[in-house]
Amino acid sequence: MSTPIWKQPGTLAEQFWKNGKLDFPVYDMHGHMGSHYAIHFYRHTPELMAEHLRKAGVKHLAFSHHHVIMGDMRNAAVAEICKRFPDLYRMYVGIVPAFPENIKEDLAMFDQWTPYAIGLKFLPDYYRIPVTDKRWEPALKFADERKLPILVHTWGSSQYDGGPVMLEVAQKYPNAKFFLGHSLYGNWEYAERLVKETNNNVWLELTAIPGERKNIEMLVEKVGSERILFGTDLPWFDEFQGIGGVLSADISDDDKRNILCRNAETILGKDW
Amino acid sequence: MDDLFFFDADCRVGSGPVIGIQPGVKELLAEMDHFGIDKAVVQHGSTGMLGAAQANLQIAEMLKEDTEERLTGIWYFLPTQCRELPEPDEFFRQMKENRIRLLALNPYEHQFIPHRISIGKIMDAAKERNIPIFLREFSGQWRDLYDFIERFPENIFIYCDRVGKWGHDRKIRPLLENYSRFYYGMSGYWVPEGIRDLADAYGADRLLYSSGFPYYIQGSGMTQLKFCGLNEKEIAAIAGKNLEKILSEVQL
Repeated sequence: MSTPIWKQPGTLAEQFWKNGKLDFPVYDMHGHMGSHYAIHFYRHTPELMAEHLRKAGVKHLAFSHHHVIMGDMRNAAVAEICKRFPDLYRMYVGIVPAFPENIKEDLAMFDQWTPYAIGLKFLPDYYRIPVTDKRWEPALKFADERKLPILVHTWGSSQYDGGPVMLEVAQKYPNAKFFLGHSLYGNWEYAERLVKETNNNVWLELTAIPGERKNIEMLVEKVGSERILFGTDLPWFDEFQGIGGVLSADISDDDKRNILCRNAETILGKDW
Repeated sequence: MDDLFFFDADCRVGSGPVIGIQPGVKELLAEMDHFGIDKAVVQHGSTGMLGAAQANLQIAEMLKEDTEERLTGIWYFLPTQCRELPEPDEFFRQMKENRIRLLALNPYEHQFIPHRISIGKIMDAAKERNIPIFLREFSGQWRDLYDFIERFPENIFIYCDRVGKWGHDRKIRPLLENYSRFYYGMSGYWVPEGIRDLADAYGADRLLYSSGFPYYIQGSGMTQLKFCGLNEKEIAAIAGKNLEKILSEVQL
């Protein structure tokens, strides 16, 4: 047997295998919190998630709370959770079109949630409301004016947040920073187009992809590692599985560092 | 811990009209070397469309490329009444001859009912000989899976899932709780430190490292397991020792 990647001296894979951490901060740009109606996962509380994140060397998790985007919890309560873990948690303000008054109130509160609030979260597929629908407009305009990130759940086959509608909004709001959650999973052609046919305002986010053989390599080939962000959907997926998935990909250590760390710092600064 | 022995319970090799060109034995072995996987269980990736008899022949032929004997094969079986495969004793003799130590069934694509009257004879023989039944074709067919295991509660089962990304604890845990010879392979089970929680509840000896190659990469499950919070002995058991023990008890 040849030397496995985990034992090749000086590599990130060796470092992680030995220590369970890397010598740079990892940023998880797609997380949640709280229980989920259809899945049992034990580590969904702020405390247990924090323990898991710190163990894996994740500096910040940017998340939207399940109970905001799938229930009626308010974003203000999420900001309070972040305040309890100021070094760790950052929040996407969950935008739920069914509650337009909440959207107005929450966008008005956004500045008060600094530095915890870093952007907005959309879940069009789950609500069956296309991202091009006017009900998303107030939030899209807000993000565009402030050059804020919007993490959008995207899926290649979806009419609500698939390729064509995402391309339309990313072009219409050229200053908003679109993080394509799941990288338009399955529609890789549009994932590439979204990055290349917009105003440098689109990044592919990896949740559900690390662990899949050859897909990270394919995305790096299509758009370059500088346009890819790491994410896990925590508490859905394990950080060690996700980071291990990136480290297992057949790309350079420089590419891996871009995905796990540098790109988030390029977008949000080193001290976000 | 650095020299963990890994035995991957869930790999497929071989191409087909639906799955396209997929890795063969040489590519799998190279990837195992790349990640430090010692051994693996393999089946033909296009068994559904090839059919049991042809897939069995092909995987046996492919295994000949593995000169170091790091791979162990899976054969598929069918209802005995149609006599498409040899009688159990002869079937098992051929399994031994071809380095096959697990069985599997695909009642969906191979169009039969996995009932006692159709496959009871071979299931009982497999039970007597401690031959594990590999259950991936039941992925997502939870009601069928529950019914099937209920009909053959004393057989050894290895379930590896690759369908969907949602955690399956609510479906897997009742099986682990009620069937002591039911083993769970972790292909696609990405729940944060969920391996530790399952081991705490049902014992580390009930869990198996498995990747889901070639659709999933072998490395990510290795780091997930290594840092899941269990002790070294438990991790070593899941990484490879449990499967090694199960297969060592097979009598062909």
